[in-house]
Amino acid sequence: MAAAARPLVSVQPLPASLNDMATDHVTTVALPDVMKASIRPDIVNFVHSNISKNSRQPYAVSKKAGHQTSAESWGTGRAVSRIPRVSGGGTHRAGQGAFGNMCRGGRMFAPTKTWRRWHRKVNVNQKRYAVVSAIAASSIPSLVMARGHRVESVPEMPLVISDSAESIEKTSTAIKVLKEIGAYPDAEKAKDSQAIRPGKGKMRNRRYISRKGPLIVYGTEGAKLVKAFRNIPGVDVANVERLNLLKLAPGGHLGRFVIWTKSAIEKLDSIYGSFEKCSEKKQGYVLPRSKMVNADLARIINSDEVQSVVKPIKKEIKRASLKKNPLKNLNVMLKLNPYAKTARRMALLAEAERVKSKKEKLDKKRKPVSKEELAAAKAAGKAWYKTMISDSDYTEFENFTKWLGVSQ
Amino acid sequence: MQHDEVIWQVIRHNHCSFMAKITTGNFCRNPYNITGVCNRSSCPLANSRYATIRDHDGVFYLYMKTIERAHKPNELWERVKLPRNYEKALEIIDKHLMYWPKFLVHKAKQRLTKMTQMSIRMRKLALKTREKIMTTPRKEIKRESRREKKAETAAELDKSIEKELLERLNGGLYGDIHNILPKHFNKILDENELQAVSEDEEYEEEPEIEYVQGYDDLEEEDDIEDFGGFAIDESLKNNDDAHEDEEGMDSVDGKRVKRRSESAHQKMEEDERRKSKKKAKVLVEVEHEDASERQRATF
Repeated sequence: MAAAARPLVSVQPLPASLNDMATDHVTTVALPDVMKASIRPDIVNFVHSNISKNSRQPYAVSKKAGHQTSAESWGTGRAVSRIPRVSGGGTHRAGQGAFGNMCRGGRMFAPTKTWRRWHRKVNVNQKRYAVVSAIAASSIPSLVMARGHRVESVPEMPLVISDSAESIEKTSTAIKVLKEIGAYPDAEKAKDSQAIRPGKGKMRNRRYISRKGPLIVYGTEGAKLVKAFRNIPGVDVANVERLNLLKLAPGGHLGRFVIWTKSAIEKLDSIYGSFEKCSEKKQGYVLPRSKMVNADLARIINSDEVQSVVKPIKKEIKRASLKKNPLKNLNVMLKLNPYAKTARRMALLAEAERVKSKKEKLDKKRKPVSKEELAAAKAAGKAWYKTMISDSDYTEFENFTKWLGVSQ
Repeated sequence: MQHDEVIWQVIRHNHCSFMAKITTGNFCRNPYNITGVCNRSSCPLANSRYATIRDHDGVFYLYMKTIERAHKPNELWERVKLPRNYEKALEIIDKHLMYWPKFLVHKAKQRLTKMTQMSIRMRKLALKTREKIMTTPRKEIKRESRREKKAETAAELDKSIEKELLERLNGGLYGDIHNILPKHFNKILDENELQAVSEDEEYEEEPEIEYVQGYDDLEEEDDIEDFGGFAIDESLKNNDDAHEDEEGMDSVDGKRVKRRSESAHQKMEEDERRKSKKKAKVLVEVEHEDASERQRATF
């Protein structure tokens, strides 16, 4: 981790008219490592939704509700449904259905109980991760603006003011200070947004709603600025040692506008430690390491180190072609077996020869025979017949006399 | 820390207060956005190097932000005033965004073009007078019409006009011509006539000849049939006679004779009509029978 030079945050001086300590030169503070932690909106969302359940008060219906009757089912045979009915007589209520969630005056389905699990346990490390993420997000002006705070006139993010602010006692001076450091538009936005809540929440002790303004974080215990700032609409105050995720990421959305005092920001290092050094206040706690130290993917890909090793782009891409059957497709066959061409040619020629010769033979036979040929054919036939009927013409007969046993 | 990718992931997938989702797509409400669309390349929050064109009172400015000033929101945007000349403005954009990504240069020029076109069009429209549509709430419209009606009836325009005209008439505005408005003239005459008659009766009590209408004479007749439909005609005739002649009995006798002859004549006419009708009926019956026979034959 390159943690050689940490950027410096300048501390905004407060005007000398407000207090005795006139800071002529602008002091600087090193940026605490917390502000460089990884920003994990998923963890913040999860932890926020669970932690916000912890301040709930139980609600339930009365356990006797709907059961304070001695109703019995009339059973079958009375041409009415079998729901338990109220016994007795002389009143409308007699004979009416009871006990069921479908009955008027019956108990509800699954009556709510007070022993519902109201509170959620979240792992300590997860809670710390969420807070650290929220602090880191509060130092990025884009995220703060995206959340909706008006920080266009703020001189620097994270906004640090000198410790003389901690001794402010009057709200009027507090407002003046906010105006000086450019945080007043945000507080003004919160004040203008005060409205009556729409819906039933009005009559359930949640009558007014408004936007959130800046969060002032102070370092020294018992600072008077708490009383000065707490009455300004939208402004929250918190001690560094007790930072609340519900205040740092209201609604589960990262990027609350935070105003730090100098002592507060100097304490952050000791409270949360750094990426290597353990925290002093939280035993054995080290800031969470991110999966990617440098998350700027585009920059990494286009850097020299990567581009120099990367293979060049393939312009011609070879794609798999359709398989064609060589037995049916001659060209494909030739690719595999070039001799197939001549073999096939020979075969075709031989076939043509055969056909021709056969045709000639047949033509010859089908041709009408001339007289001479006919006479010659007849004579030849007669001669052959003569050979067949004359035994004496059998020349090699003597050879077989021995084993044939012929008398003649 | 200030990684664009991380910021974009958080903004797009979690929450951005500038993003507006419409059925057609995602748009960005951020005033510094160059295209107005919520995009990885158009998001002014997720790009540390960004440029836009914005106009202020008709003057176009080129706004630029770089990563060096990313942590100082106060001084983030550096602006350059663009000249009014379109080509020169393009050159200035080229000069300032010389080695910047092509996307931003292209979009900046596009935006400048569009804005100049819009400003030209707006100036042209401002010269024309355009009617502005003003809406009135329905309640008011109805109320006004109701009151208008009431006011009209309350004003009694006719009477006031009459008064005015009479004054003018009496004042001699129209000289000797009295019957400019015939309707009102006649009405006034009638009113005045009655007054005169009543006055006459008071002063002169000489009802000499009473002109009786025909109705009284008719009552003396025996035949009621003659009354029937003819009564009205006769009364009218009698009225005329009364106006023309001031004789009494002679005219009445004449009427009697006339009446009888007239009635007899009319009776004859009636009989004729009936006869003709009967004949016609006979003929008709024959035809019908034939027609019916024919029909039967077909069956």
